[in-house]
Amino acid sequence: MPELSYREAVRDALSQAMRKDEDVFIMGEDIAEMGGSMGVTQGMLDEFGPDRVRNTPISEIAIVGTGIGAAMQGMRPVVEVMYEDFLTVSMEQIVNQAAKHRYMSGGQLKVPLTVRTQGGAGWSPGAQHAQQVEAWFVHVPGLKVVFASTPTDARGLLWSAIYDDNPVIFFEHRTLYGLKEEMSDELEPIPLGQARVHRQGEDVTVVATGRLVHEALAAAEEAEKEGVSVEVIDPRTLQPLDEDAIVGSVKKTNRCVVAHEAVTRMGFGAEIAAVVQHQAFDWLDAPVERVGAKFAPLPFAPVMEEYVVPHAKDVLAAIQRTVQRDG
Amino acid sequence: MADEVKLPRLGQGMESGTIVKWLKSEGDQVEKGEPLYELDTDKVTQEVEAEVAGVLLKITVSQGEADVGTTIAVIGEQGEDVNVEDGNGEDGNVEDASVETALEVADDEQEEGSPGPAREAERERGREASASEQITEIRTPAQGNGAGARVKASPLARRIARDRGIELGSLRGTGPEGRVVAEDVERAAAGGPTPAPGAAPAPPGDIERIPLTSVRRTIARRLTEAWQAPAFQIAMSADMTRAQALHDRLAERVKEGEAKPTVTDILTKACAAALMRHRAVNAHWAEDAIELHPNANVGIAVAIDAGLVVPVIHQAERKTIAELAAARADIVTRAREGKLRQEDLDGGTFTISNLGMFGVEQFVAVLNPPQAAILAVGAIERKAVPTDGGGFEARPLMTMTLTCDHRTLDGATAADFLRTVKAFLEEPGLML
Amino acid sequence: MAKVEQRRGVSEETLREFFREMLLIRRFEEKVEERFRAGELPGFLHVAIGQEAVAVGVCRALADGDVIASTHRAHGHTLAKGTHPNELMAELYGKLEGCSHGYGGSMHLYDVERGNLGANAVVGGGLPAIVGAALAFKFRGEPRVAVAFFGDGATNIGTFHESLNLAQLWQVPAVFVLEDNHWAESTPETQHSPIRDLSKRAEAFGMKAMKVDGQDVEEVHKVASRAVKHARDGKGPVFVHVETQRLVGHYIGDPQVYRDKEELAKLQQTADPIELLRDKLALSDTEFEAVDREVQELVDASVEFAKNGTDPKPEDALKNIYA
Repeated sequence: MPELSYREAVRDALSQAMRKDEDVFIMGEDIAEMGGSMGVTQGMLDEFGPDRVRNTPISEIAIVGTGIGAAMQGMRPVVEVMYEDFLTVSMEQIVNQAAKHRYMSGGQLKVPLTVRTQGGAGWSPGAQHAQQVEAWFVHVPGLKVVFASTPTDARGLLWSAIYDDNPVIFFEHRTLYGLKEEMSDELEPIPLGQARVHRQGEDVTVVATGRLVHEALAAAEEAEKEGVSVEVIDPRTLQPLDEDAIVGSVKKTNRCVVAHEAVTRMGFGAEIAAVVQHQAFDWLDAPVERVGAKFAPLPFAPVMEEYVVPHAKDVLAAIQRTVQRDG
Repeated sequence: MADEVKLPRLGQGMESGTIVKWLKSEGDQVEKGEPLYELDTDKVTQEVEAEVAGVLLKITVSQGEADVGTTIAVIGEQGEDVNVEDGNGEDGNVEDASVETALEVADDEQEEGSPGPAREAERERGREASASEQITEIRTPAQGNGAGARVKASPLARRIARDRGIELGSLRGTGPEGRVVAEDVERAAAGGPTPAPGAAPAPPGDIERIPLTSVRRTIARRLTEAWQAPAFQIAMSADMTRAQALHDRLAERVKEGEAKPTVTDILTKACAAALMRHRAVNAHWAEDAIELHPNANVGIAVAIDAGLVVPVIHQAERKTIAELAAARADIVTRAREGKLRQEDLDGGTFTISNLGMFGVEQFVAVLNPPQAAILAVGAIERKAVPTDGGGFEARPLMTMTLTCDHRTLDGATAADFLRTVKAFLEEPGLML
Repeated sequence: MAKVEQRRGVSEETLREFFREMLLIRRFEEKVEERFRAGELPGFLHVAIGQEAVAVGVCRALADGDVIASTHRAHGHTLAKGTHPNELMAELYGKLEGCSHGYGGSMHLYDVERGNLGANAVVGGGLPAIVGAALAFKFRGEPRVAVAFFGDGATNIGTFHESLNLAQLWQVPAVFVLEDNHWAESTPETQHSPIRDLSKRAEAFGMKAMKVDGQDVEEVHKVASRAVKHARDGKGPVFVHVETQRLVGHYIGDPQVYRDKEELAKLQQTADPIELLRDKLALSDTEFEAVDREVQELVDASVEFAKNGTDPKPEDALKNIYA
């Protein structure tokens, strides 16, 4: 059983797909010789050559758009947008083109494109290099959105994303790249749309994504000491969302906390809260709590950055709010 | 054949235009594409070209405002007949009716694109289809949730119950899937049990005014009418041993998908049979006469969200208990879903009201005018009954109270009828 | 033998075919204008009257397997690439029989089987995907070419620059056809571009550029053929700058308040590609009328076909979102 880091897991999925399949190729800024700004594609140029591991100019529109065109011809390109903040540059191609070709053509086309990207706060990258923007993409019919929080999930889900016939935005989290996990020898594809229960519990369900999965697990340990049994679920795929798993868990525990690193207000967690409220209305013993970043751009100074961004303590406080009593 | 020149819709929201001046005169030869007249559309005056070549045979609107689609001129061959009225002609420029857009779009500029006014009917279909969907795209909460012993109550209901010291579990919920909602708690608080001793007094709050729905108004009106009839009540208990045994046997034999017979169904059968023996009870007060009805159309009182409704099982005397069960299950379901039709509510000759399932031992129902009588039935309770040997034994007894309109019935007739019902319940074989 | 033919130009028979196709497009667009004014066609409609020679000249230079992406003014390209007028009209009427099955409309016409990867309502929106298609052809060693149509307005948008840059950098078999009608909706070129010769923009990327008079279908065809061959031979992408004229407004009903009426009238007299070809072929009135009748019948029939078509069910709206 090899132990792989998150970044190695991503690389493993990409490499295995490219070995098996001529139609898979990768392109993005600095992914060739440099192996990517986060080191994810290191070594791949040597194995696959410059035709299939392509450095691009700084052209997010063309990076994504070219990927769309190749995908429409039946290839399975995996394009990289270096920072998810720069998805904004290619929004038009993602939203108006990739997401809609199949629909507007009445089903004549498929766009099996995967857009890999990463983000996340934690070492003062500043407001334009640390956003968590998944909420914008789950809102677009035609797109699928994945956010893996562990190496095993990253490997299995990226494989499924590559082989899904729809455009998939695959979010990675910068602070998780070094996280190591023991994995099976064989790559085990993980179906999209399936949540994962990291920890079973009885008193409150915490639905968390990305880095906050690990913060939630830490908070759960603390809560246990206070006698509160916490269940932690990671949806893993944000669109389509595994509503059954989430709602089923809340029906068991009667309390729900949603946690993500993205700004709380109007964030992806609001959708989960709405789904839970609607489908588990009669099971809720407390309002659904949300944990996320405060409504501010990400500041540079470390003291301010840490204030804005959510941590285990915030998840714990939310857990406590759901179980608190007045008398 | 002559071509009618109609005022074109040149932009979204354009409903009419003003003809400023004609550039060709009647009798002139016109080429396709040649400017024909000047049209003012609020923001812009533009030339409108001829769409066909020919002779401008007639100008029907020479100047001024005209609605889109109006025939304003005719182009054809020299000497052709022209059958168009002067002034505003027919509405609409195509076979399909031109329809109003729902919104008043005032003062629009020349806009790119158009909603396609001739397609409005299609748009309406799309809107209807979306609005009439039972299942919305956002999934409704799963049915059959397996909540088990959990009481379904809205957060507001819980709060009110907590404040007033009312036990949620004792309440019957009228919300979706039996959820207890605020109104249920309010109702219980209004006429229900006093708060448990030691419970905190209800904190001062606002008086909640619940406006009357039309159903409530109707119920109020009819029952007020009924109250004016001179009524009397007689009560009897029936030993339900045999009726219960019959019920159990019938329930065993029920097939998948069939309605399970209840004691109410047996009671309905008993009443229907008794009504045929005592025709005077199967009657209506008709002001200047008493109407004796040929069939026993038995109404079953059903409590629904909005109040009380009494759907009728027609010709109950002809139905077997199984058929009565099916009919009862159907109308009760439809009553709860708000899907009763007028025919379900009309023609009742007798009504049964059963509050036994709420633990009520005995009660007096209000007449359902113009019916002669209504039977109120309580819970079946095990009571001690003296035996011949001098001891007691427990028997399942059900109290029946018959309220009668004294204008239609007198005591003896009523008592005879009720005795027959009791006999049928105690010995179902007698109904045959 | 081929070289000699090329110098002499396109054969008369072929030119007559071009004439028929251009006239078909013209009559189709006129019918679209008429039906729009009758309130039957919802949405945005932009007709290509005046630009027929570009569509026909370029599309007829393509081989089976070549693909195009078009603009919001796509009817001409779509017909020239082989979609039957019935399917096109049905799409404008929003019927299931339409080429996009009622999901797209005038600005999202797709006919993938015939190599039409879609009209695009976003200016410049289709260019990057053409680069991608060409890249795929190169990857697989297929002798296919991807062609993008766009207008002078699009040469200012980001997709244009990123696409040309990448296409030239990676030497993909793409042809970029600029239909320069000198108007971006109501903005004349002098107001949207600081340079007068837009082919310089391609040269700035190091891309081979060709120029042609877009009102002469024979010339367009010759130049397009050369461009397509260049790309197909693996020599890299080509920019074809076509000078053409939009003889109508931007959209149906556009009163063109921003345009000099006299100048427009003059252009309609002198720059109509159909009239020019008619003169070149010296078609008699009878010959013209015969072709006109034929194409008019096709167009009229397409309206019948469309009107008798099948409306999608409302809930069909929820299909085809995901593969």
